[in-house]
Amino acid sequence: MLWRILIFVWLSVWMVVALLFAPQVPVLHETTRVLYFHIPAAWIAVLALGWGMLHSVLYLVKRDLNHDDQAAAAAELGVLFTVVATVSGSLWAKRMWGSYWNWDPRETSIFFVLILYIAYLALRGSIEGDEKRARLSAIYSAIAFVAVPFLMFVVPRMYEGLHPDPIINNRGKVDMDPLIRICFFMMLIGFTALYFWLQTLRVRVTRLERRRELARGI
Amino acid sequence: MPNGGSNSAVAVWSVLRKECRTEWRTRYGLNAALLFAVASLTAVSFAAGRLGNRTDIMAALFWIVLLFATLASMSHAFVREVEARTMLLLRLVATPTEIAVGKLLFNLLFLLVIEAVTVPLFMVLMGAPPVRWGQFLAVLGLGTVSLAASSTLVGAVIAQTRGRGALFAGVSLPLLLPVLAAAVGGTREMWAANSVAPSLKLLGAYAVALLAASLLLYDHLWED
Repeated sequence: MLWRILIFVWLSVWMVVALLFAPQVPVLHETTRVLYFHIPAAWIAVLALGWGMLHSVLYLVKRDLNHDDQAAAAAELGVLFTVVATVSGSLWAKRMWGSYWNWDPRETSIFFVLILYIAYLALRGSIEGDEKRARLSAIYSAIAFVAVPFLMFVVPRMYEGLHPDPIINNRGKVDMDPLIRICFFMMLIGFTALYFWLQTLRVRVTRLERRRELARGI
Repeated sequence: MPNGGSNSAVAVWSVLRKECRTEWRTRYGLNAALLFAVASLTAVSFAAGRLGNRTDIMAALFWIVLLFATLASMSHAFVREVEARTMLLLRLVATPTEIAVGKLLFNLLFLLVIEAVTVPLFMVLMGAPPVRWGQFLAVLGLGTVSLAASSTLVGAVIAQTRGRGALFAGVSLPLLLPVLAAAVGGTREMWAANSVAPSLKLLGAYAVALLAASLLLYDHLWED
């Protein structure tokens, strides 16, 4: 309960500061503000992917269904945040680049992450039995874990990049207005807290559902 | 286990032989796969016509045909066992890893047969310019290993699901996208007379990574 209020207040305050008081970047103008929403969402999309894969591997090692619940919740929330990042980025791209979709390396990568999540969830949906579902989807998640770094390496060679590097530029240092930077990192922290809160909620719901099914079985 | 290695090799060899024999009896899977490869090849060549010097497009189309043939046919090595209800019997006589490695080798062989038909046909139908065979076969070989490794693992997983074959293509695709990208890149560079080394390195590394991860995961495929 306390967490919920804290996250709500935190995100609201920084959203207001980011939308009203943070300065604009010259070329980007008002579209600068997508930064506070889009990048944290994309970060969570990747974080959830890593979190899910970690728990999939842990499940294979320990055979504890809690790990599978974590992996499943991460995938579901991952879809949500990936869609948020993709849609907000796409709208921004329409304004700045003139089209919604350009197969820019990052667009391609996030698209890949999205189909990976969807394939994983489709696979989960087609397996009967908790243990079996957990085991087979963990195998898939683990093998997908091998594919991700390769794709991250392959993609930039295939497509030309348009995507800006506002956080870490070519000179390798943070190059932002101080207030933009503060807002951005505060939103990043807020989104991360939001994600982990949603994650625990989802896992708790899964556990309750399992208990209900067990009770029905008896 | 002093004889563990050779025993496993014998088991893998018997699984491979059994696969080849059952396939050869009906040739159902092979016929279907070949027919599908030729059909998609025909569709591609009807749709694109003769591309002449557009070797970049040709490289892409070539790998799309191979990818589709893989997605359409490669799940059957395991699905067949489940449908014939022979999976349990097979598991009585061999360990999961032995079964999976045997099936992997069979899938590799299966793909090579498909390629032996598709590659010449593609080159002729599409009017492809001369191929530098050494480089082309290296790209093709490494790509094939990755396709077979991914299909074997995903095929084994998919055979235990409710939809069986239906999900195979969708679930395989994310794993095959790096192969597709690197193999198309290599084939394009081969025709453009550039170095294929970067693509080969990528394909080789991916094939090794997939095989290594598969060997670790095969043990978890079945459980009682």
